[in-house]
Amino acid sequence: MKEITRNWPFLGCLLVLAGAGIATPHLFGAYWTLVALNLAMWIALTQSWTLFSGMTGYISLGHVVFYGIGAYVVVATFKTVPLWISVPMGGVVAALFALIVALPVLRVRGPYFVILTFGVAELVKFIILNIETGLGKSSRLLFGAPGAQTLLYVMICLAIAASGLTLFAKVSRFGRGLTAIREDETAAETVGIPVARYKVIAFAASAAIPGMVGGLMALRSTYFEVLQVFNPIVSFTIVTMAIIGGSGDARGPLFGAAFMVGLSELLWANAPRLYMILLGLFLVGFVVFAPSGLVGLLARRGRETSA
Amino acid sequence: MKYLLSLVTALALGVLAVAANAAEPVRIGYSIAKTGLFSQAAPSQITAYELWASQVNAAGGLDVAGEQRPVELVWYDDESDPAKAAQIYEKLISDDGVDLLLAPWGTPHHLNVAGVVESHGFPMVGNTAASVAIREVQPGNIWFPTSAIPDKIGTELAALAKSANVTSVAIIANVLPFAQENLQFLVPALEAQGIEVKVNESYPPDISDMTALLTRIKSSGVDGVIALSYPADSFLYMGQAKELGIDQPFQFLLVGPTIAAFQGAFGEVANGIVTLGHWSPHQAAWPKGKAFFDAYVEANGMAPDYLDSALAYMSCEILQQAVAVAGLDRDKLREAISSSTFDTINGPVRFEGVENVVTPTAFLQLQGGDMHLVWPAEAATSQYQPR
Repeated sequence: MKEITRNWPFLGCLLVLAGAGIATPHLFGAYWTLVALNLAMWIALTQSWTLFSGMTGYISLGHVVFYGIGAYVVVATFKTVPLWISVPMGGVVAALFALIVALPVLRVRGPYFVILTFGVAELVKFIILNIETGLGKSSRLLFGAPGAQTLLYVMICLAIAASGLTLFAKVSRFGRGLTAIREDETAAETVGIPVARYKVIAFAASAAIPGMVGGLMALRSTYFEVLQVFNPIVSFTIVTMAIIGGSGDARGPLFGAAFMVGLSELLWANAPRLYMILLGLFLVGFVVFAPSGLVGLLARRGRETSA
Repeated sequence: MKYLLSLVTALALGVLAVAANAAEPVRIGYSIAKTGLFSQAAPSQITAYELWASQVNAAGGLDVAGEQRPVELVWYDDESDPAKAAQIYEKLISDDGVDLLLAPWGTPHHLNVAGVVESHGFPMVGNTAASVAIREVQPGNIWFPTSAIPDKIGTELAALAKSANVTSVAIIANVLPFAQENLQFLVPALEAQGIEVKVNESYPPDISDMTALLTRIKSSGVDGVIALSYPADSFLYMGQAKELGIDQPFQFLLVGPTIAAFQGAFGEVANGIVTLGHWSPHQAAWPKGKAFFDAYVEANGMAPDYLDSALAYMSCEILQQAVAVAGLDRDKLREAISSSTFDTINGPVRFEGVENVVTPTAFLQLQGGDMHLVWPAEAATSQYQPR
């Protein structure tokens, strides 16, 4: 508890953002509601990624698979199962899927793990694509979903939940175990940390919220197509946000997501190509010059001013 | 003196009127895939929009229920992301306050934007979207001028194949939605015509080698090949079919051959290829078609895409004619689009629900470097010729 209260600046920041998000539909209208929805979505996704990849050092390049599974669950049961059941169910199915694939997938480390997660996401994408083709449902329409404001409020709850989960994991015994795995997995096992169990739990926990996020985001669109909800760009963007923010703890995703959504809003309308170039430059710049991300930069600035 | 004074007054009023017009353009918004996966396909649509806008402005402006006003296009790049397109239309309507809307490129984008225009009651004439799913869209806010709807394509293509004396076919299909929808309706239609389907294979969207598929087709002994392909795989098919000596007299490619670059790339080799398309400048019954073709070639230095450019321009014509009657009032505009018959480069267009019920589902064939409508008979500009 003491460790959580020590994070009051982070919690304050989260509450301010949530408040701003809740006020957006009333103050700034429909378009900015969608921008806020995007921001909340990226915070929730990047926090969930950090819970596993940031803490264990196992870099997942396939987190879109959980997002896609959640979306597919909601879409496939649309108008037959109420949304308050189907959206959480998307999270449960995504977490179950993570549990099933965790044991074989988590046996490999380093670049092999990165490629394997990417491969699993592509595999699931094409399996579902073929199922849809087989069913004669190459595309689905989703009219009558809740409006952007409702989706935003639920998404804010998910972003807070994901942030809370990551924060809690970081300060708990479980989180310290994960960090030990990141630093030296063999040593961690030697000192008695249940490595396999911790990794599997973290992997499943980091899949649940992306599953629900995917379900919600499917409802934002009136048209569902498999290739879009399993778009690998989602996975790449999550990793980029985590790197730019600083992927070690719950503060990074907040900064990373806010920075990139802000940059995108500033640039996409006027200079879409410049946006992609700048994104590449920022990514290279952060990896080379500021590997601890925005959080690291701000902390260093803080120490310099106080010194 | 009195005469001079009235002349000066008239001139002054004229200048004022021009100034007023210049100050108040009709702002027309759209999003387009300027970057990303579909950025190769979208230019055919952008060029048609730009041509239409420049023609309208050159003619003194858009007739808004009797008042001439210049048009100004307001567009954003949707990065080929349908969800982004929906967000942009929300911005165009809520933030930018545009007067009218044009459509984005592609079926997923149209159907995603359908939700936005419906929630605002803002009319939008679609163009480059074709799916049986469009009939699930609530009528009244969005309309689809295309006649290339997969269930109709299946029936008509089977009838064309039958009339071309095809007895057996090999089908290869992209797994993407438009191709699969076509496949779903085509196979039973072919069987109903007594045409045997000897090969029926689907392939991934990013296919880079068709050798195995084409070798199977070659050894299958069919007399027709139907490739339910997207532009990139149509190019791939044509190149590899030439290398492997695929010489079936009837060869159909779904999307791709209508692009000028396709004919540019393959020339004589592509002669005789049949493809999807319901417009041709050669149809004398549609006099506006030839004028559009000539103006497009003059402006862009190449032929328009017979499918996308034509549809995009038709959607502008429909909007223009509706605005001339109804002005910019959204309710009146919706009523006008829903109930009028429009005179377009593709002949008359009238909507029932969301669908164009006049233009027949048709097919084009590349003949001697030109594209001709060969099916159905009432729209044909030339006879079908076996390859």
